[in-house]
Amino acid sequence: MAGAGRAPSVGGVIEVHALTKRYGDRAAVDRLSFDVRPGRVTGFLGPNGAGKSTTMRLILGLDTPTSGSAWVGGRLYRDLSAPLCAVGSLLDAKGVHGGRSARAHLAGLAASNGLPRRRVDEVLELVGLDPATAARRTKGFSLGMGQRLGIASALLGDPEVLMLDEPVNGLDTEGIRWIRNLMRSLAAEGRTVFLSSHLMSELELTAEHLIIIGRGRLLADTPMREFIDRHSGQGTLVRSPEAERLRAVLEDAGARVSADARGGWLARGPSAEAIGELARAHDLALSELTPRRSSLEEVYTAMVASATEYRGTAEGPQEPSRERSDTP
Amino acid sequence: MTSEIVAPAPGRRREAAVPAGRAGFREALAFEWIKFRSLRSTLWVTAVATLLPAPGAVLVAATESIQPEETVLGGALTFATPALMLAAVLGALVVCGEYGSGTMRSTVAAVPRRGTVLAAKGTLLACLLYALALPSCAAAYLVGDALLDDTHAQGDPLPALFGIAATFPVAGLFGLAVGALIRHGAGAITSVIAVLLLPGMLGPLFGPAERWVAGVSPTAALQKLTQSSEAAPELAGSLGAWPSLLLVAGYTALALMGTAALFQRRDV
Repeated sequence: MAGAGRAPSVGGVIEVHALTKRYGDRAAVDRLSFDVRPGRVTGFLGPNGAGKSTTMRLILGLDTPTSGSAWVGGRLYRDLSAPLCAVGSLLDAKGVHGGRSARAHLAGLAASNGLPRRRVDEVLELVGLDPATAARRTKGFSLGMGQRLGIASALLGDPEVLMLDEPVNGLDTEGIRWIRNLMRSLAAEGRTVFLSSHLMSELELTAEHLIIIGRGRLLADTPMREFIDRHSGQGTLVRSPEAERLRAVLEDAGARVSADARGGWLARGPSAEAIGELARAHDLALSELTPRRSSLEEVYTAMVASATEYRGTAEGPQEPSRERSDTP
Repeated sequence: MTSEIVAPAPGRRREAAVPAGRAGFREALAFEWIKFRSLRSTLWVTAVATLLPAPGAVLVAATESIQPEETVLGGALTFATPALMLAAVLGALVVCGEYGSGTMRSTVAAVPRRGTVLAAKGTLLACLLYALALPSCAAAYLVGDALLDDTHAQGDPLPALFGIAATFPVAGLFGLAVGALIRHGAGAITSVIAVLLLPGMLGPLFGPAERWVAGVSPTAALQKLTQSSEAAPELAGSLGAWPSLLLVAGYTALALMGTAALFQRRDV
């Protein structure tokens, strides 16, 4: 994949090659390789402690890898002449000194990369922090305001690559929708958007491509739709006033039928169209006919469970809790 | 802004909203200056360190607490010693404040060449402290000269005042080195204060070796430069005032180089 002799990338491809970071004998990131391409939102998914944040810090050169390398637009991060113009990053809301105003924080960052002062006002407006708020010390900021400030600093240099760690953390519904639209429009402009989240439902709505890691290792690098299609058990939710007759008809047609938790039958096998035809042929009234795809969350949970099992590192079954023996 | 509605084809450049920037030493210095002046903690410590010596001279004169064998220069600059400690604390604050708040990550992400980060911090700190300490200490001397009675020896204010002012950037840089080494505010501040204060305090415990113990601290260099009676050879060693300053500057430079090497390698 990320071999030598590749054409120099104009935009901002993130290339991670055999990246490894060990703390003592524990590998936080373990021979991780993937590319993040421009023009789409790439989701970075993994449970807590999977190594997402460590990977991002390694890409930014904040941590030194034990082995392997990470490249942005064909260069090491530390060799970028104006890093903020190449990569905008949001690591955690706490990258800001609480005693400093939001405006001063951004002004400092702008100065550090020789960016014009007007960019501060532009990004403040873009993220919806008004001048009065921006003049206040960030100590009193809510999580959401801090997150907006973090995104403002990421956008300061109008970078080709955006790398955001849990950007929707602490945002309300409106803020989450705002980020989602912002990320999509940035990707549509041809930028590379790399976005980690543990909110799988959120990534499902935002990301077109997925990179999934568990325990520092790559589990999947795949388009979102393909991932869900491949890993989900397809099924169709069917309801009818004549539930028992519907079941018999479906089973006769070779469908595997099970009761859905919310009522109705979950039929696996025939497509929704086939079931519709079948109902018409048998003169059955249907009150619902819904093709159901598994959500990313369901697929992901199943996948992580099997990956854990495969590696045989899962803890053994818990000892059954014993009854207290100290009672007289 | 372009008026085009079509989404740009992959690889086609958008119109840049930002002219190409650069992240060199000058930019890093501007960055550090903005960070420095936008925090109350650093401003307060700087202000107190700068304003302390002159009122100190007034206090010494008013209370007539000056020793008979003390020079006017040494008596007038009594409060330069606590001011010097604040300079060292400031050096530690400038770097530990960033570690404590997580700002160091934003800083290193913006200026990935870490040597540049440390050099910009050190340059700002040293220039600022020298520029403030020189008038501050000169003012303290003038106040003391006007208020202290004539029974005391005068002492030579020139060129000593330039050396006195130079102890401040040296102490500040020493604080910076210790701060970048320890990274934790409370620990770093305790350490730099200990280095400045303890040799003088514990020196008498070492008997004849006192002048070797007490004589190496930045405080001793300051007292020698102010020609204070506390810097008598039997207390602070026979090394002259200027060589003492050089000694302190020398080990500060070594500490900075060691810290810089570590700062290059460590994860932030």
